[in-house]
Amino acid sequence: MTPARFIETRKNAWARLDALVRQAGRRGTAGLSSAELHELMRLYPGVAVDVARARMYGIDTKTQERINALAVAAHGLLYRRPSSRPGRAIWRFVMFDYPALFRRLLPYVALAIALFVVTGLGCYFTVRLKPSLAYRFVPEAVDMVDNNPGLSSDDMIERFRAMPNAPLAAGVITNNISVAFFAFALGITMGLGTCYVILMNAMMLAGFAAHFVNNDLGFQFYSCITAHGVLEIMAILIAAGAGLRLGMSVAVPGRISRVASLRAGAKDAVLLVLGTLPMFVVAGIAEGFITPSHLPGEMKIIFGVVLGFTAIMYLMLAGRVKRV
Amino acid sequence: MQDFDLIETPENVELRQPLAGIGTRFLAGLIDNLLIGSVMLVVAALAGLASYGTITDIVETGDWADAWLLAVLLVILFLVYWGYFVFFELYTNGQSPGKKHMKIRVVKEGGGAITFIDVIIRNLLRCVDAIGGYFVAGACMFISRKVQRLGDLAAGTVIVSESTTDYAATSAIAGRITWDQPITPEAMEATGLTPQEYGAVMSYWWRRPELTVEARRRVLPKLLRPIVRRVGVTLPGGSLESLESFVFTTYIRPAAGGQAPEEVRPEVAPIDVHPAAAADSASANPTLADAAPAEAAPAEAAPVDPAPAEPDLAEPGPADAPAADAPKEPGPEPGPAENTP
Repeated sequence: MTPARFIETRKNAWARLDALVRQAGRRGTAGLSSAELHELMRLYPGVAVDVARARMYGIDTKTQERINALAVAAHGLLYRRPSSRPGRAIWRFVMFDYPALFRRLLPYVALAIALFVVTGLGCYFTVRLKPSLAYRFVPEAVDMVDNNPGLSSDDMIERFRAMPNAPLAAGVITNNISVAFFAFALGITMGLGTCYVILMNAMMLAGFAAHFVNNDLGFQFYSCITAHGVLEIMAILIAAGAGLRLGMSVAVPGRISRVASLRAGAKDAVLLVLGTLPMFVVAGIAEGFITPSHLPGEMKIIFGVVLGFTAIMYLMLAGRVKRV
Repeated sequence: MQDFDLIETPENVELRQPLAGIGTRFLAGLIDNLLIGSVMLVVAALAGLASYGTITDIVETGDWADAWLLAVLLVILFLVYWGYFVFFELYTNGQSPGKKHMKIRVVKEGGGAITFIDVIIRNLLRCVDAIGGYFVAGACMFISRKVQRLGDLAAGTVIVSESTTDYAATSAIAGRITWDQPITPEAMEATGLTPQEYGAVMSYWWRRPELTVEARRRVLPKLLRPIVRRVGVTLPGGSLESLESFVFTTYIRPAAGGQAPEEVRPEVAPIDVHPAAAADSASANPTLADAAPAEAAPAEAAPVDPAPAEPDLAEPGPADAPAADAPKEPGPEPGPAENTP
């Protein structure tokens, strides 16, 4: 067959496939009738082969480009994942896949927790033993204690009350989620950026705690942060675990290429982060509405602990039953 | 040199997606970030008004409507910052407004549409890519084989250029001669060229508007050399203008069935070849510099069908005469010489 004959015999198929691809347009295969879809499926393999034949015959490059582009477009229409119903996908993710994923990636989360605890304890005892170091770690806490002699937990909570509940919750939720996103994304620096986020948070929290305890304000402090803090710190550490997963995939790819390893790591890690979003929402609502409330401090501490415990139960136990 | 992403199909054919360059992507990003920035500025200004003007009132008077408005504005601010790209790339299958304007699109490496997870990954990692005013992204794209930033590498996505993939646009550039028009056996026969030569000549003609005069002056003689050698035709004078009008009358018009649209023709005329430059090109390509300058008026030069060939060349006659006219080329003997024994 001569190139000219080739073009002559195939051009009707090209024109037809071209028309079908155009008709499908943005709606994808949903834009085609069943008969048209069958026609598309019948025509595409031939046109894909035409790309190779056109190269072999060495026909002009513009026509080659057009056949190639046509085949790319048809390929894109045919080989795409079936779209699943989002409601169902989210339900399955929350009830089964996320807790299972969490348990699979628990070592990374544990590493994040360990970093946090070790740094926190170190910082806590440093400030306990040498209170003047609090001026270095947490000037804000020092200000608050020094400028408010006889601070009560109600006084501390006044800070939260300066903002109405709803915007406080909204501000806290969005801010914390941003921090979680950064903790995840910075993992691509082989985990260094994520470690930085963990250390900063640990030092801040422990420094605050130690300085308040130094001034006999321990109960006031914990009653002020526990209601939202337990769940919030858990969620941040899970996000940091995701960052470490990402970082590890870059740093230690094992027997696959670094890019392939990164890709697998990113998929795991991003799902781990997405699952923390509801936790941040709950923690933020608690910070917006429970923390500034006039409930007694003991109640707030119990509330926060129960919230954290519930989250742990969910993460460790949900989805263990056999899927139907 | 354009980079490609290859799609390996089940039919064992490699399809090629042209990749978008760093500059194009930077411009698209600039457009998107300006949009994000201006929207956020407006929302932040509203939030500022809502809080500074009234926040103490809210606390004291319990004005809940204002409080909730502020909460909603804060959430919108967050959604615009983190969600702009996610929303558009999902909703329009890989094209944020900036990308759409620059005619580029996010696709899965190796073909296919992007998924929700891909979009989330590449856009969460954007905050790292954006460090130093997208310096990280730029450096990464520069190093990576497929012009990918960190988010692309992690998500397994590439940005393809649709200015050439869009075959509708391609055919508009290619214009008159496309597969549904005169690439027919007849058209090819009318020019008397082999398929490869035909493809080369047609490609040159389509791309001509995009090429600089220098490039055309360099390429066209090279392109015509093998044809000249095979057919044994004499080229008109050494200037680009005369060569192109020769190509037009000998190949383009016959291919279009003898009636090329009028707009083709004026493209030949405006080429401004300075006499000096023409002389340069002539001496630079001695093989094509015509030995017989006064051959014929360039425009009407030669209907080059192999059968009714130029009288002075196709004739097997005295070996010296055509040899003088034919391009002097070392290597395989041109047609007429073979005929002499």
